[in-house]
Amino acid sequence: MSQAGTKKGAVSKLNRNAAINSLIICVVLLLAWVAGFASRLFAVIRFESIIHEFDPWFNYRATAYMVKHGFYNFLNWFDERAWYPLGRIVGGTVYPGLMITSGSIHYILHLLNINVHIRDICVFLAPIFSGLTAISTYLLTRELWSSGAGLFAACFIAIVPGYISRSVAGSYDNEGIAIFALQFTYFLWIKSVKTGSVFWAVAASLSYFYMVSAWGGYVFIINLIPLHVFVLLLMGRYSNRLFTSYTTFYILGLVMSMQIPFVGFQPIRTSEHMAAAGVFALLFAVAVLKYLQSMMSKSEFKFLVIWGGSLAAGLVFATVVALTYAGYIAPWSGRFYSLWDTGYAKIHIPIIASVSEHQPTTWFSFFFDLHVLIATFPAGLWYCIKHVNDERVFVILYALSAVYFAGVMVRLMLTLTPVVCMLSGIAFSILLELYLREEDSGPSEIEGDESTQGGKRLYDKAGKAPKIKHEQVKEQDPIGPNIRSIAAVVLVLLLMLFVVHCTWVTSNAYSSPSIVLASYGSDGTRQILDDFREAYFWLSQNTADDARVMSWWDYGYQIAGMANRTTLVDNNTWNNSHIALVGKAMSSNESAAYEIMTALDVDYVLVIFGGVIGYSGDDINKFLWMVRIAEGEHPKDIRESDYFTEQGEFRIDAEGSQILLNCLMYKLSYYKFGELRLDYRSPAGFDRTRNAVIGNKDINLTYLEEAYTSEHWLVRIYRVKKPDEFNRPRIPVANRVIKSSSFISKKNSKRKKGLIKNKPVVIKGKRSQ
Amino acid sequence: MWKLFLFFSILSLANTAENINSDLINKNVQRTIDLNSQLVKITGTITIENSGKQGISKYLIGFERDLQGSVSYIGVQDSQKNPLKTSEVAVIGRGTNELFYQVQLRQSLEPEKTITIIFEVIITKALNPYPHSITQKEKQLVRYFGNHYFYSPYKTQNQKTEVLVSSRSIESYSKLKPVAQTDSIITYGPYSDIAAFSLHPLTVHYENNAPFLTVTRLERTIEISHWGNIALEESIEIKHTGAQLKGPFSRYDYQRETSPNHHSIRSYRTILPALAHSIYYRDMNGNISTSTVKPHKDYIELELKPRFPLFGGWQSSYILGYSIPSFPYLFKKSSGEFVLNIRLLDHVFDDMAVDELETHIVLPVGVSNVKVKAPYEIKRLPDGVAYKYLDNIGRTVIRASKTNLVEQHIQDIEVTYTWKSHTLLHEPILVSIALFLIFVIVIIYVRLDFSIGKPEHSKKE
Amino acid sequence: MADTGKLLRYSSPVNPAVFPHLTIVLLGIGIFFTAWFFVYEVTSTKQTRSLKKEIATAVVASIFSGFGIVFLLLTVGIYV
Repeated sequence: MSQAGTKKGAVSKLNRNAAINSLIICVVLLLAWVAGFASRLFAVIRFESIIHEFDPWFNYRATAYMVKHGFYNFLNWFDERAWYPLGRIVGGTVYPGLMITSGSIHYILHLLNINVHIRDICVFLAPIFSGLTAISTYLLTRELWSSGAGLFAACFIAIVPGYISRSVAGSYDNEGIAIFALQFTYFLWIKSVKTGSVFWAVAASLSYFYMVSAWGGYVFIINLIPLHVFVLLLMGRYSNRLFTSYTTFYILGLVMSMQIPFVGFQPIRTSEHMAAAGVFALLFAVAVLKYLQSMMSKSEFKFLVIWGGSLAAGLVFATVVALTYAGYIAPWSGRFYSLWDTGYAKIHIPIIASVSEHQPTTWFSFFFDLHVLIATFPAGLWYCIKHVNDERVFVILYALSAVYFAGVMVRLMLTLTPVVCMLSGIAFSILLELYLREEDSGPSEIEGDESTQGGKRLYDKAGKAPKIKHEQVKEQDPIGPNIRSIAAVVLVLLLMLFVVHCTWVTSNAYSSPSIVLASYGSDGTRQILDDFREAYFWLSQNTADDARVMSWWDYGYQIAGMANRTTLVDNNTWNNSHIALVGKAMSSNESAAYEIMTALDVDYVLVIFGGVIGYSGDDINKFLWMVRIAEGEHPKDIRESDYFTEQGEFRIDAEGSQILLNCLMYKLSYYKFGELRLDYRSPAGFDRTRNAVIGNKDINLTYLEEAYTSEHWLVRIYRVKKPDEFNRPRIPVANRVIKSSSFISKKNSKRKKGLIKNKPVVIKGKRSQ
Repeated sequence: MWKLFLFFSILSLANTAENINSDLINKNVQRTIDLNSQLVKITGTITIENSGKQGISKYLIGFERDLQGSVSYIGVQDSQKNPLKTSEVAVIGRGTNELFYQVQLRQSLEPEKTITIIFEVIITKALNPYPHSITQKEKQLVRYFGNHYFYSPYKTQNQKTEVLVSSRSIESYSKLKPVAQTDSIITYGPYSDIAAFSLHPLTVHYENNAPFLTVTRLERTIEISHWGNIALEESIEIKHTGAQLKGPFSRYDYQRETSPNHHSIRSYRTILPALAHSIYYRDMNGNISTSTVKPHKDYIELELKPRFPLFGGWQSSYILGYSIPSFPYLFKKSSGEFVLNIRLLDHVFDDMAVDELETHIVLPVGVSNVKVKAPYEIKRLPDGVAYKYLDNIGRTVIRASKTNLVEQHIQDIEVTYTWKSHTLLHEPILVSIALFLIFVIVIIYVRLDFSIGKPEHSKKE
Repeated sequence: MADTGKLLRYSSPVNPAVFPHLTIVLLGIGIFFTAWFFVYEVTSTKQTRSLKKEIATAVVASIFSGFGIVFLLLTVGIYV
């Protein structure tokens, strides 16, 4: 490592080196923070500071509510503007960590009279926490390997696309702070295992409490740490340090995690948490055995260990199974079970299967999200296995489980990313150290741990046994200077390519707000399609405050956040039958749908239609999922096969199935579209997304009327007519009690035949205009 | 006791109420009623003759008892275009629902002499859409109720009225001979020898496609900084007050409608001061991208398009903000006082009608002795206190409100205050002290010792 | 209305065009002294620490950083 210029006075050399080291580490971490922050700002610079996607809108709305009404009102909030008419108990169904973090930052800043709006805090929270994640990754890797590897890992995780995808500015979601909490908890856990101090174990449990409040993925921690303890026990690495740290951590973490209303009693009642309890019991059993070992003879002890140990383990296992069968302990929930049995969701829980993020990961996304790190990470893993100690067992287990889960679901790439960064950091650090290490016989400048290991490896290469120190000077360095420089250059190039790739991926793939669309014309001018906000703003300004809007559940959070109207179903998807009702209304014909809509008290219906601009995320493309979900609850009324042609194709043109062409969703999407010509080449009614001319061009709506359509026909809002707008009897004129003033009786002589109104006045000599 | 009180109050009332001086005669009145926009603009010239024996310096302009709409602005000039002072008064003998304005003539009008004055009256909410609700494709027709005669406390010898309407398709208009209609002008008159307070209802029913946009509420915040910048922010709520939209809104029909003359409002132009920069146009959901800035020589034209076109009964709201350098507006007196001249109301769009205006002026930290001089009558609300960045002492906020304003109300308000220049250093010193405190905490922390026992075996971080 | 033609126009004591440059200079010096302060704190032991040096560095760092932050806010457009 090259030295920076020093500005110290006459301090001892060791002190000076420590100073330069700490300065370099500080500067590099600060730069990593700045790089991570800046790299996430593409969307803000290109568009504006706005909350992206769907889920963050609910988080933002909850945070705004908390800021406005206070923390206790937020915890007790019953939201009657969602899931009409059921409502949603927000306090008990949300992980409050995110809102609390933003809320406290907002509170502190307002105390200092720095009046930042809560939306801006929410937008920039994830980039700020990415810097903190980099720092905690540095700390964790430093505990595992060395400071140099830590710096590499911190720099990697600051810009790696796998993490950026969920923490870009504007993506105000749980993962933004959860990954920081995850890394920090792991760092504190490793520290407590290394030192065996109660202080670190308590710190780890506090950090775990923060993690539980932040993300549902805390289940990963509470299963990985017990697994780590279990494997250490199996490897015979039991120690008092392990005992102290795990028992403190488990009990405190258990009690604190149950403080979150959403978690409640789950840690002692669900299968996902039983592993932790089981290992806790097992650890005690092992501790007792070790204590007894010191008091007994070897053969007696051996007998006791085998029988006692297996008896204890079997007892614990049997208890858990019995309780599960008896119903006291809930079985694995669908969400987590589908990680094990990947075909489960498609059959039983179509809503989980329909989300695109829950599909299996392809090889392409591994490289796309991790670039060269995915190739170097096995090297780091191998080094950890080779030089195993208590904490490296942890990272090995972390890596293996993360790789499995990342293969199951695209969404879980996020949990793989930190461990890949750490292990690649270790690999790069070892590699660079090997090739950059300069020969010198004096005491090493870098921390002692590193240098002895480096010395070992240097001489391992030649296949010889490790020599004692005084012989170092005599050994010939087998690596010539040319190879050194080539290797260094290649590694630096590789890292630069990594940076270029990360920035490119962030800029192109992960920085779209999805609320605002942009299209680029042939001369490069940008045309912004702000249809979503246009329609939501219209809804918020021109409809009654208590109007109910029915739409597909994707848009529920956005409607609640931007238009501030009551919705029927939203992204929380907690009530499948309610969603199925909405799906049934969308899939039935107009009169059947009208019955459902009046029963649900709906005022407006909102559909997304992408046929004019070619937007492929519209409701017609999602329509089959609506049918499937509706069929799950109402199999007699809705059959998926009805919506396909005889050949089994899903078509919207004239060949499409009649039931499809007359269902509510079709009518609402294509109302008046049959007359629209997009350009002179295509016929009227040409759907750009499906590339076909629609089959049903003359659509008449009896029960709804068009209330608003946005500029590019992306969002279409219809008003549901009330029952009293139909069947109004007509009273003949003679019987009317209130006569309108504009009434002209036909018997008036003035109303002569042939009277022309607005007769054009022609004046001779003057030009008619 | 109370009788005495009553007597004095009647006396004082009698002092403030005006008498109608019947010696004045309107010799000739030429009136033009412009109905082309959403406002009713009545302009005219009056030739006044003093038929009495004494000089008269006051002239009364009256309005009908059941006037449709409300008078927003009245301005009177003499024939040399010098403005004459006008104020609202009560008149003895007329009820309280009649509005009278008194014009102060520059020189007293001598007997047997005549003088010409030019007046301009703007009335808001006078045009009623009739039919009240229309579909998207129909034309918007409005009705105007006025007076064939010039309503005056004095006799009128000769008068003529011209009514300008926006299109040739006039549905109907009331006729009182002599009346003539050419193109888009209806001429009533000349009428001679009309008595005072004569009223003959005039009705015009015609098509008016001018934007019927009312600013229901305008909140204007002006923030002064002595580092050389004034930041303005206007929070505007607009509503289409023409004929209500009945039935569905069809985007297809709207996109096919190409004529610029439609009753819906697509966009409008706001004029900003020439040096405005950092202009932002957003609403509660974020930035609105449909706007264009066109800089001209002495003003900046901003074409604003609301997120959705406004039809009758639809409303929208937005926030428009910009910054201007302070040197054209902030002046320094030799006595150490500062004078601020800034517009109380600024241009929103041509022929605008603002229902409610509230202006806040946030003065810098450490001002004292604040005096406000308004160009016309405003209601001053109690001063507020605002805390901006790096403030621990609050800033004084001057608040004023007024209702029913039009374009003619765009005038400057003058604020005078005392401020010392060294107050500018207040903020940097505050930040420096805060940072120094952090350093002091670090210095103290490094000297603390938290070890429980002698550090022989335990390895401290 | 007062006759503004006769009055002096008020302009900022510091030319707004200079704000960015002032920011960089002042903040740069401030960060330099802050770094010096912290490195001194990390490397000094109980015996080698000198209170005078610490306070002096802290004062200089806080003044320059304080002014630098105010000019940073002015450059960005938050006219405090």
